[in-house]
Amino acid sequence: MFILAALLLLVPTVVGGLAAGMDSGIMQNRSAVLFRWTGGQMILWAGFQVICVPMILAQRNFTEVVVLYSGYTAAMVILALAVEIRRRKRGQTAKRSGGLFQKKDRICTLLWVCAAALLLLQLVQAVRLTYADGDDAYYVAVSSITENADTMYLKHAYTGGGTNVNIRYGLAPFPVWIAYLARVSGIRTVSVAHVVLPAALILMTYAIYFLLGRRLLAGRERYLPLFMIFTELLVLFGDYSFYSAANFMLARSRQGKAALGNIIFPLLLLLLFMMLERISEQKKSRGADWILLCCTMTAGCLCSTMGTFLTVLLVALTGLCAAVCYHDWKVLLSVALCSIPCGCFALLYLMA
Amino acid sequence: MGTGLIVIWFLFSLIYLFLREKRKPVRILFLYIPVILLLMFFNPLIFRLAARYMGNEILYRILWLLPVTVVIAYSCVLFCGNLTGKMRGKAAVLAVFLIVMSGKWIYGNEYFSKADNLYHMPDSVVHICDAIEVPGREVMAAFPLELVQYVRQYSPVVCMPYGREVLLGLYDEVCEVINADIIDLKELVPLTRERMCHYVVLSEEQKIKGNTEDYGWEPFLETDGYVVYRDTEVPLEIPKL
Repeated sequence: MFILAALLLLVPTVVGGLAAGMDSGIMQNRSAVLFRWTGGQMILWAGFQVICVPMILAQRNFTEVVVLYSGYTAAMVILALAVEIRRRKRGQTAKRSGGLFQKKDRICTLLWVCAAALLLLQLVQAVRLTYADGDDAYYVAVSSITENADTMYLKHAYTGGGTNVNIRYGLAPFPVWIAYLARVSGIRTVSVAHVVLPAALILMTYAIYFLLGRRLLAGRERYLPLFMIFTELLVLFGDYSFYSAANFMLARSRQGKAALGNIIFPLLLLLLFMMLERISEQKKSRGADWILLCCTMTAGCLCSTMGTFLTVLLVALTGLCAAVCYHDWKVLLSVALCSIPCGCFALLYLMA
Repeated sequence: MGTGLIVIWFLFSLIYLFLREKRKPVRILFLYIPVILLLMFFNPLIFRLAARYMGNEILYRILWLLPVTVVIAYSCVLFCGNLTGKMRGKAAVLAVFLIVMSGKWIYGNEYFSKADNLYHMPDSVVHICDAIEVPGREVMAAFPLELVQYVRQYSPVVCMPYGREVLLGLYDEVCEVINADIIDLKELVPLTRERMCHYVVLSEEQKIKGNTEDYGWEPFLETDGYVVYRDTEVPLEIPKL
């Protein structure tokens, strides 16, 4: 369990140090940890996608993916630590800003307590309740088979017979990442998928909403707990459709498409928002910003093949709007460069 | 997205942002982009083109790009924040009331149930799979329909003659016979043997026509309302590890 906690919380937070330079403002407040966690996870997911897909197409063993991805993770941790040490030497460490709990503001504190209680409810329910979804018969079975049989997408998930790689699924190997967590942690795959992962991903979703709220309500932080309460209520009462992102978030968190709708898209909005703010303030955009955006888009491909198209659509539309609104046409070149990995995966999908 | 009031609140929120929000980054991401996406989604030409490459059944995910939750929550906060005194609190309570009344409590969904164990699998599946698993090899077992979708999530070494595809409408002869009200062994046994089923799992409540022992089926396990039979005619060699 300790290994799993480290892989899902500690390692992404350390790796996220590479993304921490995304915005100087983020470094000056306590959101830095949350930003590092989510940003770090995107760097790791993007790496997993780039390593895993060619291995699946080449029909290599899962163990080889485990070795390569572990190496990548270790390299990212070392690099992030080196960057952190250099940053500390230069005195660029995070400064503590005012707390989230406004002094003498009882209502604000009370609202934070309510928001935390709603979050705790969802985490408890993620462990206590089970949701019978037919798609798990494919996705979770693929994770279990991968971990057990050491092959990727070469066994029929429903029955167990041999099969060929289905490119539609092979290009979005989120279940293989779950198998990786199970292999490294030693916890049974089905428990990782149904119990541990939902709790971690629900937490990550709200971390992103928190960061988004903080950006949107800059200078009006006392309304942030209210924003979080509204967000949580919209999710908790989001069962108005079987297809709503909220339904996927709480009911089918272990499926890649849930991560796409509830982690990748909101995080893309956050990153794009931060970039638009920089353009708005006529600050020069940095390469690191675009690299993190590119990693998040690639992570979208890991979650779902639809992610390949949808992340590009969102970023391209934003780029176009930014170009028109700010008369900054150079942004379109950066958008195009960011979309290259997604474009490659889309090409593979269309060629198959 | 459904057709509930949440969609109406989202549209109202977009209008409110259009009127009150001045920051360009917010307007681009939470106003212009959603409007463009909606126009694209409801444009028959673009819809047809996207459906051709992505498939009709998953096209609804384009709507996930709409930041419904963030836009409604932010608009509510903005609206409440622009009021003064007690009106602010009243507006917040009203917003909570509207969200609660417009949506549907997710844990009230009929597919949610209390988990039997830390695998989130039915106890019956866990007990049966643990009993029939053989170290170092796979086993073939036919399960009743209600257990089919869980078996290979829990145990990848338990193979089945039919899987979840039968729940999606695919015809399978073994499945048809095994899930009949009265199971005719004369009909079922040759079919399960043909598929090399080492085990057959039947519900205790199912009526069986014929004597199982006459067909070489030995009762192997009774658990959680199911009876597991071992077909002695199908060899099950246990590898030496």
